[in-house]
Amino acid sequence: MKNSVKLLTLLIAALAFVTINTAMTQKEGEPWVIPAKYKSMKSTIKAGDPSINSTGKELYNQHCRSCHGTKGLGDGPKARNLKTSTGDFSSKAFQDQADGEIYYQSFVGRDEMPNFEKKIADEGDRWAVVYYIRTMKK
Amino acid sequence: MKNSIRIFTLAAVIIMQLFTVVMAQEEETNEKPKERPARPAFESGLLFDNATTTLQPSKTLEMIIQHRFGSIENGITDLYGIWAPSNIRLGLNYSILDNLMVGIGTTKFNKMQDIQIKYNLLQQTRSNKIPVTVSVYEVIGIDGSADSKFGVNYKFTNRFSYFTQVIVSRRFNEKISLQIAPSFTHYNSTDSLVDHDRIALSFAGRFKFSPQSSLIISGDFPLQIQGISEIREEINETLEHPKPNICIGLEVATSTHAFHIYLGSSQGILPQENILYNQNDFFKGNIILGLNVTRLWNF
Repeated sequence: MKNSVKLLTLLIAALAFVTINTAMTQKEGEPWVIPAKYKSMKSTIKAGDPSINSTGKELYNQHCRSCHGTKGLGDGPKARNLKTSTGDFSSKAFQDQADGEIYYQSFVGRDEMPNFEKKIADEGDRWAVVYYIRTMKK
Repeated sequence: MKNSIRIFTLAAVIIMQLFTVVMAQEEETNEKPKERPARPAFESGLLFDNATTTLQPSKTLEMIIQHRFGSIENGITDLYGIWAPSNIRLGLNYSILDNLMVGIGTTKFNKMQDIQIKYNLLQQTRSNKIPVTVSVYEVIGIDGSADSKFGVNYKFTNRFSYFTQVIVSRRFNEKISLQIAPSFTHYNSTDSLVDHDRIALSFAGRFKFSPQSSLIISGDFPLQIQGISEIREEINETLEHPKPNICIGLEVATSTHAFHIYLGSSQGILPQENILYNQNDFFKGNIILGLNVTRLWNF
């Protein structure tokens, strides 16, 4: 019985060590270098468009949620396997960015953040995702 | 002379006016908002054994694993078909263009090799100016069985079979998509009491109940048309004709995967096998468990 307790304690400690260690080795991403044309980019759909909560939500859940989490907190199941933190979409720092900056980061990407221009080909659908991400503001 | 100059000037002004009108019309045409293609009717180009009108973007490689267990009718004896002989297909599809895909595959039963091609003729638009997506789909199968299977006058071409289909789909809304697909199947070599040709009608549908999950259903119905049959009507009446291949299941689709788990009737995987040879009757309990997995890579 004592051995079982010891073994269980050891396993829990090992699991905690691995989890904490993995989380601690994840680094913050370098600041994004965003081309001027994206910074000033204007949406092809209007804020409040019905596609934001239908198409935008659906595409976010299909393509983004596994890393960025349901509420954009960066706590999706795949996030822990990344070298770079996925950031927090609900934060003021993230939401203060221009629409075009979020667009560039979301669809052009870099390093571990894949390019999604082919997977979400329609311009209006991309903006629906950007605006859906906007709804995650705290 | 003066009159000539006046007429010439008038004509020039009229021509200029006409030119301006034409130019203005062209500008108006250019200003029209671009037609947006509708989102794909189905998540994947594959739905059970059927093709859908969905094509991946150009330079996308798709790996496909299709797995069919045995019939569940023997119950616990073979763990509802899981321990029974199973059929497996491994396939690779590549999108050359946004509307053109080619693929190859190999299947366990009959050692079938296949070459596939799918081309989108029409794409449904969000404005409904084009209300449906239309694709043509061709599968060429090459049977790798021993020569003796094909009789005494064996020729390599006896191994070939062809499946040609026109697929028409419509995405009705975010949740519901339907598809209808007439097809023509031809085998170069068959047994004496099996027709070489068969026309069939396939239906498929999807009900998406969450952002990643859908209920999916399909049915392939081989038609018995005496006009294209080589067998006399009185003999045909005594034969067991191919049964419909009915499938119902669940689809989970992520950014790079589509996963199907379902119950179906045919154990064949290539569509021509299902159309010409399926003798399993879904409604008499000849049901098999099937699994499909697809994986995408963009280049």
